Amino acid sequence: MNAATTTVDSSHTIALEARDIFKHFDGVHALSGAKLSVRKGEIHALLGENGAGKSTLVKVLTGLYTPDSGTIVQNGSDVEFANVRVANRAGIVALYQELSIIPSISVAENIMLGEQTPNRGGLVQWKTLRRGAQEQLDRLNQKIPLGELAGELSPVQQTMVAFARALATNAQVLILDEPTASLTDTEIKDLFAVLRKLRDQGVAIVYVSHRLEEVFELCDRLTIMRNGETIITKNVADSNIDEVISTMVGRAAGELYPERGTATSTVALTVEKVDGRKVKDISFTAHKGEVLGIGGLAGSGRSELLRILAGAQKHTAGTITVGDKTLRPSPGVSRALEAGIALVPEERRSQGVILSATIQDNIALANIPGVSSFGLVSGARIVDITRRGMLDLQIKARGPRQPVGELSGGNQQKVVLAKMLARKPKVLLMDEPTRGIDVGTKAEIYRLIRELAAGGTTIIAVSSELPELMGMSDRIIIMHEGQISGEVQAATATEEILLAYCYGKADSHVNN
Amino acid sequence: MSTTNAPAKPGRSLGRTLLQGGTVIALLALIGFFFAMRPDVFLSFTNVKNILFQVSILAIIASAQTVVMVVGDFDLSLGAISSLAGAVAAALMLGGVPMWIAISVAAGVGLLIGLANGFLIAYLRLSAFVATLATMTSVVGLAYLVTAGTTLFSLPEGFNNLGQGKFLNVPLPVYIAIVISLIIWSILRFTTLGRSWSATGGNQEVARLSGVNVRRARLLAFTLAGVVSAIGGIILAARLGSASAVQGSDNMMFSVAAVFLGMTVIRSGMANLGGTMVGVTIIGVMSNGLNILGVNSYVQQVVTGLIIIAAVTLSSLKNRER
Repeated sequence: MNAATTTVDSSHTIALEARDIFKHFDGVHALSGAKLSVRKGEIHALLGENGAGKSTLVKVLTGLYTPDSGTIVQNGSDVEFANVRVANRAGIVALYQELSIIPSISVAENIMLGEQTPNRGGLVQWKTLRRGAQEQLDRLNQKIPLGELAGELSPVQQTMVAFARALATNAQVLILDEPTASLTDTEIKDLFAVLRKLRDQGVAIVYVSHRLEEVFELCDRLTIMRNGETIITKNVADSNIDEVISTMVGRAAGELYPERGTATSTVALTVEKVDGRKVKDISFTAHKGEVLGIGGLAGSGRSELLRILAGAQKHTAGTITVGDKTLRPSPGVSRALEAGIALVPEERRSQGVILSATIQDNIALANIPGVSSFGLVSGARIVDITRRGMLDLQIKARGPRQPVGELSGGNQQKVVLAKMLARKPKVLLMDEPTRGIDVGTKAEIYRLIRELAAGGTTIIAVSSELPELMGMSDRIIIMHEGQISGEVQAATATEEILLAYCYGKADSHVNN
Repeated sequence: MSTTNAPAKPGRSLGRTLLQGGTVIALLALIGFFFAMRPDVFLSFTNVKNILFQVSILAIIASAQTVVMVVGDFDLSLGAISSLAGAVAAALMLGGVPMWIAISVAAGVGLLIGLANGFLIAYLRLSAFVATLATMTSVVGLAYLVTAGTTLFSLPEGFNNLGQGKFLNVPLPVYIAIVISLIIWSILRFTTLGRSWSATGGNQEVARLSGVNVRRARLLAFTLAGVVSAIGGIILAARLGSASAVQGSDNMMFSVAAVFLGMTVIRSGMANLGGTMVGVTIIGVMSNGLNILGVNSYVQQVVTGLIIIAAVTLSSLKNRER
């Protein structure tokens, strides 16, 4: 394994370094020997699959987690960050997509929040506050009215306000987690210009992203993590996308996915002109034994569509037909389940399983009709379906009575699957089926999806990751702003085509 | 990453065991302490019977509170409902209504208030705190109206027997409390309704996405709690032979305390009926023991508050362990 440390060149001063960080949760190692070394005045990409340990490392660097062992070195001396505030004071600021701004107060107040608020004996010095806020916006070349409520701004402006606040706290290391997720192409260009400017002012920027094209356009160096370890740190100019992907995955990408099957021509699910809160006029069919992938950017309505199909959210128009049985509008989860539609939701920990409950209680939850008669539940039948599910899906646990919260992410996901598979669904909806799961379990889930399809189940799976979408599906539908923007056979799909549909540009190519 | 995680298995360390069994150990220690102080009195048959008699009403109301807390909510109005039910039953009987009809109407009043609570919380999405605080206020007002601000007494002999009568030298309320808690325990454990209650309390969204009718589950939990508290209040009126607008109100805080104590008894930290009964016993033993030692009853109230703090701290320590 390559050493992650770089030779220290005198022209590069290291702003922040993490050395041999170990961190575990409930016996699972999230970080085992992670390293990262960020120089002043560089944009440093932190890459790795979901679950590789990137976000844990970021949380260690920003004082959110205390590492089990390892050291953090800032400007040449060892530091310990007891909490986020301490790290902030030391000039280390992480910006996450969602939070970062307070929508109900003005832009100026957002920028000069908390300890930055100039005051005399507790009275806010408004003039100084506005001057300070304007100063930071000027550094970013942004023209945002100071008096505006931050919640009224566009997403990119909100990001800029968050940047300005970081600058106001004199941030020396800025950590960005997927900053472009909700931005348009032009906004991304603006953002990059700002980031380059900050870099030239000597700020060290850690850039966490799944969008490799962006990394190659923007970043100076990259660090790749896998299974909690740092695998390599390299100049971006000396690397290429293929190498990065195979390093992230730890093997060639193709081996992860099983062979495609042959979908039948029997229609299993017909969706006609369905409207919801965000989704509009959705019509498609899915076949028996088919794996239908659904892609699109975050917020394009993918998850809402699945939730509508599963009866978990109301729809305002349209019909859903399973086989030849048309469901009544907004049937509710329990009727959708009876009709044969089951959902494995996006957020495992908040929507999929009850962490404090045992495996068998979780599995029983979706199978109450199957394990009860006349309102009384049968413990024997619960144990029975649990054992079968644990065996079929090879759930690694001490037994059916182990609380789900003690299992690894992959095994938790299998519990969600077992819970729904016990209903023997005709149509299985899966929202981000492999999010936060290690590579080994991912491969198992893909194989399982294939087996289910071969057995005649229709799988509809939403994924944000294009390689996954292409690898596991037979056919792919892409959504853009609530509507279906394109449909492709997976065998002929390329990331370029899919991305074009994702951005709603059916015919043109995307230039990054 | 998935294969070699042997340390994941929680070891049965001493600290963990103490934390786990802490509540039960505390109960045993209390009993030991009072026994040591007054060996002649404390564990005598008469006194044990006394303790059971004293906690029987609390046990009924705490059972009701357990149901609501299993669902992940709580109900501040249960004490007030019990007072109102006792007052309604008493007022009707004084007005010449036959005993069983008066009791049924009083229980029905509890059911309706519980239903209202459930509707406000599950369907109109008010927070349990706001909704039950508001109903508590109104219900106390109703109880004052029904009693005209006085204490109703000279209730029929047959009614008073429900609270004061004995079977095999053990007071009837003890039997009633045991039967009610056994019924609720069975509902929680053996019925689909009980399953959907604990699922809802575990994680509402997960339960909903699994096909559980979460709103109905919450509605029914509050409704059942209303009826059961009303029964508790009726028995209390029978035991005292009188009804006032506030006689059940102490039981609200004590019932929450009992359920909190009970949550520390089991590993998952969820509300559970067995644990609640341990909690009820702790409160009963303490109050009885302090009485025997001649400690002021206001001091007992102070101690109860401290016990709630201790119980909640204990359970949050446990959660941090996980």
